[in-house]
Amino acid sequence: MSQKKSTPDFLLILLTFSLLAIGLIMVYSASAVWAEYKFHDSFFFAKRQLLFAGVGIIAMFFIMNVDYWVWRDWSKVLLIICFVLLVLVLIPGVGMVRNGSRSWIGVGAFSIQPSEFMKLAMIAFLAKYLSEHQKKITSFKQGMLPALALVFAAFGMIMLQPDLGTGTVMVGTCITMIFVAGARISHFVGLGMVGLAGFAGLVLSAPYRIKRITSFLNPWEDPLGSGFQMIQSLYAIGPGGLLGLGLGQSRQKFFYLPEPQTDFIFAILAEELGFIGGSLVLLLFSLLLWRGVRIAFGAPDLYGSFLAIGIISMVAIQVMINIGVVTGLMPVTGITLPFLSYGGSSLTLMLMAIGVLLNISKHARY
Amino acid sequence: MRVSNVTVRKRLAAVLLIGVLIFSIIDIRLGYVQLILGDGLTEKAKNSWSRSIPFEPKRGEILDRNGVPLATNMSAPTVYVVPRQVENPAETAEKLAKVLNMPVEEAYKHVTKKTLIERIPEGRKISNEKAREIRDLNLKGVYIAEDTKRYYPFGSYLSHVLGFTGIDNQGLTGLELYYDKELKGHKGSVEFYSDAKGKRMPNMADRYTPPTDGLNLELTIDSRIQTIVERELDIAEAKYNPDGIIAIAMDPNTGEILAMSSRPTFDPANYRNVPSEIYNRNLPVWSTYEPGSTFKIITLAAALEEKKVNLLKDHFYDPGYVKVAGATLRCWKRGGHGSETFLEVVQNSCNPGFVALGERLGKEKLFDYIKAFGFGQKTGIDLQGEGTGILFDMKRVGPVEQATTAFGQGVSVTPIQQVAAVAAAVNGGILYTPYIAKQWIDPETGEVISRNTPKAKRRVISEETSKQVRFALESVVAQGTGKGAFVEGYRVGGKTGTAQKAKNGRYLKDDYIVSFIGFAPADDPKLVVYVAVDHPKGTVQFGGVVAAPIVGKIMEDSLRTIGVKPRKGQIEKERAWNDPKVVEVPNLEGLTKKDLQEQLFNLKLDVSGEGDVVIDQAPQPGVKVKEGATIRVYMGTKSGSR
Repeated sequence: MSQKKSTPDFLLILLTFSLLAIGLIMVYSASAVWAEYKFHDSFFFAKRQLLFAGVGIIAMFFIMNVDYWVWRDWSKVLLIICFVLLVLVLIPGVGMVRNGSRSWIGVGAFSIQPSEFMKLAMIAFLAKYLSEHQKKITSFKQGMLPALALVFAAFGMIMLQPDLGTGTVMVGTCITMIFVAGARISHFVGLGMVGLAGFAGLVLSAPYRIKRITSFLNPWEDPLGSGFQMIQSLYAIGPGGLLGLGLGQSRQKFFYLPEPQTDFIFAILAEELGFIGGSLVLLLFSLLLWRGVRIAFGAPDLYGSFLAIGIISMVAIQVMINIGVVTGLMPVTGITLPFLSYGGSSLTLMLMAIGVLLNISKHARY
Repeated sequence: MRVSNVTVRKRLAAVLLIGVLIFSIIDIRLGYVQLILGDGLTEKAKNSWSRSIPFEPKRGEILDRNGVPLATNMSAPTVYVVPRQVENPAETAEKLAKVLNMPVEEAYKHVTKKTLIERIPEGRKISNEKAREIRDLNLKGVYIAEDTKRYYPFGSYLSHVLGFTGIDNQGLTGLELYYDKELKGHKGSVEFYSDAKGKRMPNMADRYTPPTDGLNLELTIDSRIQTIVERELDIAEAKYNPDGIIAIAMDPNTGEILAMSSRPTFDPANYRNVPSEIYNRNLPVWSTYEPGSTFKIITLAAALEEKKVNLLKDHFYDPGYVKVAGATLRCWKRGGHGSETFLEVVQNSCNPGFVALGERLGKEKLFDYIKAFGFGQKTGIDLQGEGTGILFDMKRVGPVEQATTAFGQGVSVTPIQQVAAVAAAVNGGILYTPYIAKQWIDPETGEVISRNTPKAKRRVISEETSKQVRFALESVVAQGTGKGAFVEGYRVGGKTGTAQKAKNGRYLKDDYIVSFIGFAPADDPKLVVYVAVDHPKGTVQFGGVVAAPIVGKIMEDSLRTIGVKPRKGQIEKERAWNDPKVVEVPNLEGLTKKDLQEQLFNLKLDVSGEGDVVIDQAPQPGVKVKEGATIRVYMGTKSGSR
């Protein structure tokens, strides 16, 4: 299987760095007012994001040089560790509650989100499973069902926190991987039906999810409650127009949009840089997707192919959900925009995932 | 079947395609929000960003017809706190609480409230001294804003008519409420864009809309007459300790209200000290009661207009009662007035005589005139809370109801209705809508913006009938029951009224509203004055005894004040044994001290000045005064005399 190593995909590195640069600028622009108010240092968030980016880039280049089969060999162990962490995080006193979800584990700045790690561990493990059981994937019982059972077990654990955003991204990613592996379309249709019913059940079981659904359909119904973030986001995007108000000129970042540097950073970007700027970011993500799929095409083996498509679809799905939420296409779920949103663990994990992708690209033949 | 790499490659291509498609959909959505929904969202967003600081307009002043301010504004600063700018909340709260006389914890709550601007209730409309104290504290985030408070320079004077305003300078009762819209003006504002924490957003311009001050309201009220009325009511209140008093003075030729007052009264600055029914009820327009004999003027006017009676030639015999449909209606005088002309019927206020007039008119005509004179409906005066009164339902009017109505019982009317009706009876026959707002004046330029003009409702009786009514009523004052209102030289006409108060359909014992409605001069009435005293104590409860003298006093002083000349050819007053004799003041000018001692036998002298010759005197020669009255003379030297 081993091939002669070639160079990594430089365009992928360039795209990643471009998005990182835009992200750093936007984190500064969006957070400056808030940072000045809270910490009397307008660079507070920007400096930390720069630090995360530095750590992330180092990790990315390090992992780029770790042959990706390591992840196949260690995937089972990683998956088990992640499951244990997902159990631990649910225990009050061990897991910490932030924004209504018990998703964090650790101490202060050194806390992590096990669900974020689970996403990656699951991709690594599922790629291994699919590459080893590809022959049986057309069989529902023997190929698809075990994979799905594992994925939904993890999803179930994540939903206990609850963290709908991360869970959805993980499920979406895994289904994409199973799809690429060659599962039957008819199985997906059936699965879709079940999924729809399951989603409806989930929504009905927790009232706050219903509110999120209705607030997305008409945020002005409850402008100070469930519709608040949506409205504030639209108040940013709408006035942006074609060319935007200009970099740094956002009005909604003046405490109207809560924590504008995190999940809703794209709204501030669209406000300041307009439709042109927003479209450029979407174009960059589309190109990133293209490079990712291209690496999957060129991967020397099925494992590399599935791992690559898993990583790139995770990035793409997270982008779709985040910007879908920000523009009002979807109910608010609360996930970050890869490379752009402020946040240490999100950014470093994303860069590490790109590192894996880069390593595959080094082995790829097109 | 084995999945080939071909399937994986196809599926990978599909993933890329679907991914790019979804990104495109999101981009289209982004474009839709930014380019198509953009303008609408921008408008909404601007509303969410903009903060408006109101600029209060100045409330219009209320003036009397001569420009005397009756309701004006006083500077009353208000304390504002901008909590975000307060540096030491505990200290600020403590200092503020001390000056504003409030609990420190309360002050602390206001000082730390999460809001843009906080108004402390105790800090609203404070005195200038307190405001200065707070200003001297130099507290960060504490501001003193210019504000005004309504101020009534004459206190309880005209209080029912003026009403008062609330803490936000909004009219609550009286004219303040009735004309609130015109008086209050329009708020202005400064609109600025602010961040969600209330701080000004950079790079966005302010919008200023200046406030429009309220218009000044000039009333038909003549404060000089109002002063006289208030004085007389104060005296009457002290003298009779009544349950209430009502007084109205009106110009009969226009319907302009010149004075209006009632007791009990209140001070608008401390209206909370009295029960709400006192400040909420403007009795001269609100209260309804049986008018009693003053209502006979209406019956008289109707009978004269319909030529049903000749006052001097027709005679009537009053045995002291009259039987109507089996019921016995008594005259107020036991034993009756005997044989009398109809003029004497009016002078004596003889009930059986008026029953006869009512019968001559018939039910339809009598009630037609009552309605034509404006009873049974609101006069339409521009004051809050006017009453309507009650007339008999026409279907239920039998001979008894007709008879009692003819002398003023069994109907219920308001004081203002009586004033308007009597004005019509004596002014030549025209019923006017009474009004109190004369004109609106721009407070800046002093320009008259709009003016209310007299509104004639209809002609009720002819000039000739009106003249006869005046003659009959002047004789009531000169020779009949209304002697108490007689004023030398001013030809007062009028009619007494004494009505038993009713409660729950029964007459109360020894509880009367005694009234008098008068007008003067009888040849050309300039003033109609109505006074009613509710349950006067320590006196016979007769309108002629209690109310007539009050009207007389008001008439005499008011007519003199507004410059109405005394008349000649007055019907001479018929003297009763206890009436004081009236003498004409002789001309004393040029007389010496010695002359004076010989001349003045029935008048007292109050001599002042040095010299031996009279150079001035008061009252002037020719004025009639009571016997024994004091004449003031001023002495000087002959060369100094004019």
